Amino acid sequence: MNYPIWVVPYLGGPWVIGIMAIIHIFISHFAVGGGAFLALAEELAYKRKDDRIYQYLKDHSRFFVLVTTVAGAATGVGIWFTISLVSPDGTGSLIQIFTLAWALEYLFFAAELATAFVYYYTWDRIDKAAHLKIARLYFIFSCFTLVIINGIITFMLTPGKWTQNHNWFDGFFNETYWPSLLIRLSIMFAIAGMYALVTSSRIKDPEFRTYMVRFCAKWLLPVFILGPILSLWYLHEVPQATIDTIFTGIQTSGVGNFSILARAVYLSLVLSGTVILFAFFGPYLNPRGFTFRIAILFMICGLAVTGTTEWMRELLRKPYVIYDYMYSNGIRKAEIDKISQTGFLQQGKWASGLAQGQDNPTARGEIVFKYQCMSCHTEKGYRAMQKMLGERDRDSIQSFLQMLKEHDKDKNPYFGIMPPLAANDDEIKDLAAYLSTLNQKKQSDASR
Amino acid sequence: MSGNTKLKNGLQAFLDERFNISSLLQIADKKKVPIHKHAVWYYMGGIATMYLAVQFITGILLMIYYVPEISSAHASILKINSKIDFGWFIRSLHSWGANLLIAILFAHLFSTFFMKAYRRPREFTWLTGLLLMVICMAFGFSGYLLPWDDVSFFATKIGLDIAAKTPLIGETVANMLRGGEHIGQATISRFFAIHVIVLPAALLALLGVHLLLVQMHGMSAPSSFNDLPEAKQTYEKFFPDFFYKDILVWILAANVLFALVMLNPWGIGPEADPFAPAPVGIKPEWYFLSMFQFLKLIPPMVGPIEGELFGMVLMGLAALGFVILPFVDNGKSKAWSRFATIFGLLILTGMILLSIWGALS
Repeated sequence: MNYPIWVVPYLGGPWVIGIMAIIHIFISHFAVGGGAFLALAEELAYKRKDDRIYQYLKDHSRFFVLVTTVAGAATGVGIWFTISLVSPDGTGSLIQIFTLAWALEYLFFAAELATAFVYYYTWDRIDKAAHLKIARLYFIFSCFTLVIINGIITFMLTPGKWTQNHNWFDGFFNETYWPSLLIRLSIMFAIAGMYALVTSSRIKDPEFRTYMVRFCAKWLLPVFILGPILSLWYLHEVPQATIDTIFTGIQTSGVGNFSILARAVYLSLVLSGTVILFAFFGPYLNPRGFTFRIAILFMICGLAVTGTTEWMRELLRKPYVIYDYMYSNGIRKAEIDKISQTGFLQQGKWASGLAQGQDNPTARGEIVFKYQCMSCHTEKGYRAMQKMLGERDRDSIQSFLQMLKEHDKDKNPYFGIMPPLAANDDEIKDLAAYLSTLNQKKQSDASR
Repeated sequence: MSGNTKLKNGLQAFLDERFNISSLLQIADKKKVPIHKHAVWYYMGGIATMYLAVQFITGILLMIYYVPEISSAHASILKINSKIDFGWFIRSLHSWGANLLIAILFAHLFSTFFMKAYRRPREFTWLTGLLLMVICMAFGFSGYLLPWDDVSFFATKIGLDIAAKTPLIGETVANMLRGGEHIGQATISRFFAIHVIVLPAALLALLGVHLLLVQMHGMSAPSSFNDLPEAKQTYEKFFPDFFYKDILVWILAANVLFALVMLNPWGIGPEADPFAPAPVGIKPEWYFLSMFQFLKLIPPMVGPIEGELFGMVLMGLAALGFVILPFVDNGKSKAWSRFATIFGLLILTGMILLSIWGALS
């Protein structure tokens, strides 16, 4: 309400963030895990004095440096653009709370970039021991970017003691910080291994290819062995309401009425199982037959499970953008009661500015819709209001909206799943007037 | 000798004595797969078999709760979808699996066709494959009516009305399938029996012959491979090398099915009302769409012949082309080979374009 609105028809703004973020996660995880891979594989080459591994690493690192620096930086900036356009209040809060952490993250990112270039351009130009040190340094810098960003991401789901004392350090080292850090590290190693399997599958010498395929496959072991334990630890630390949402989703999914969160959980589990089976029947049982095409398919599976799991993690936080503090539509939890009494269109520079002089109830309702509903819904696309409203008329929409104002689960079954509606009675009438224009029956009648 | 090895050897000896496993392993050891750039198409048959297994298993589970009775059919599907634990999952696997199976069968059929795998001595492998395709489409058609919702009812009605136009036998066959002039209880009973008994029996028998012929003749290779000097023709062992890769592809194919089921579970429309007008823009399933659209394009009368009849004769001739071609394109004549390729390309392009047109119109 304090900023302009960015309307993304059909797809919705959150999915723009989602797509950009998932691509960035693939690349950033690859950057950290790949850093560990380069350092350890180079150490192996150094100890074994194996020029074949050195040659392989030189080829491997070309694409690695290109992707992690160029695409990593581009999508990183892309995330900043999209989150500040789609969720400016949430972005503003995160910047204010973690100013120092962001500055440090930027510093380590710059150091990571510089080391990556030094690493690539000093192949065969400095002695092997010094080059190995650069590889290790790159991994350390890239790890620090993870160490910092992990604190901010986990804060959004488990802000910890920050909600009471507003000490950023308490918010940073929150309940899910350590399990999340370890899960991410194991996923990063797995992604690095899967990418290295792609490059290893192109090695011409069959004996060396078999050796490297087996070496790369071992990078998936941490996530296979530790993944389930760490996931349980992570789930143990998330808020009870989130766990209840998962279980309700799973229970109701038995009879077909299942939430998007339940779908994401199932998909993540199925895809994880696929990656395990794939790794067993592929590089482990048949390393000689692990061809380039199969390696690409394997990597797609791995990226799919990473993307789905990230999607699931994002869903765990709903309806908040910062748990128990700010809802996904940018309204702080503490402001809801006040706004409900005084009216939403009196608040915020942009929301009140847009409403000023606007007497048309439908137009005023549209402003409320765009600020309060569009952070999750679109008019006709993803989670379409048109589909959800069906053939409801204005009065029944109004009653439904009145229910969404309630803070009691017995009166409002959507409480805890959706942000409570923050609007006074007149604004609810306006919103109902606007939403009734999306009524499917009305439109089909008109088209006849 | 370790305990494990002892147990393994003992088990092997036990099985060998009773099932002659070692001779089967010897056969598997001899089986080889050509390595060439089109080898990816060899996986289609395996994927289709895997999807078929899913259809059989989920079909049996659905039969436990489905009631093939006009007043209960729709309610029983609703019950499966919303009352039976994970009934929606089994039903979605069955419905999505059927669609994926037919899509993969199309890929298998056309890849085999363009690699000219129908040539001597594999003519009957090809013909049994064609029949299997027809059976699977019949599975789709008969299964589509069983939920008894409005779309399935009217799509079946239109499908049978079109089939009735087939010269000589059309009307009789349509009446036999409907169990009279109109779609009703008799139709559900017949479609159910066909779907769960007749077609599975026919499919299993034909599949047995098809797989036996594949084993007898080995994997067919395209001419680009056969024309290579023998020293340059490379193969890999079916077992275990190709088999392990086959498993990977099955896992991926199963994943596609699971993803579709999770992200978009199969729903059900309102119960069919035979007296209500047909919903606007009713269309058959996507795999019949090209034929449906083709018939729509033909004018009501072509000279003295009724349009739909004329269209069906043309489609019949195209189908006949697929039956006859293996016997005329035997690899000896370049002209026939080129004709076969052009014929296949025309049919495939036509099917794709007409399906897209049908979906958009």
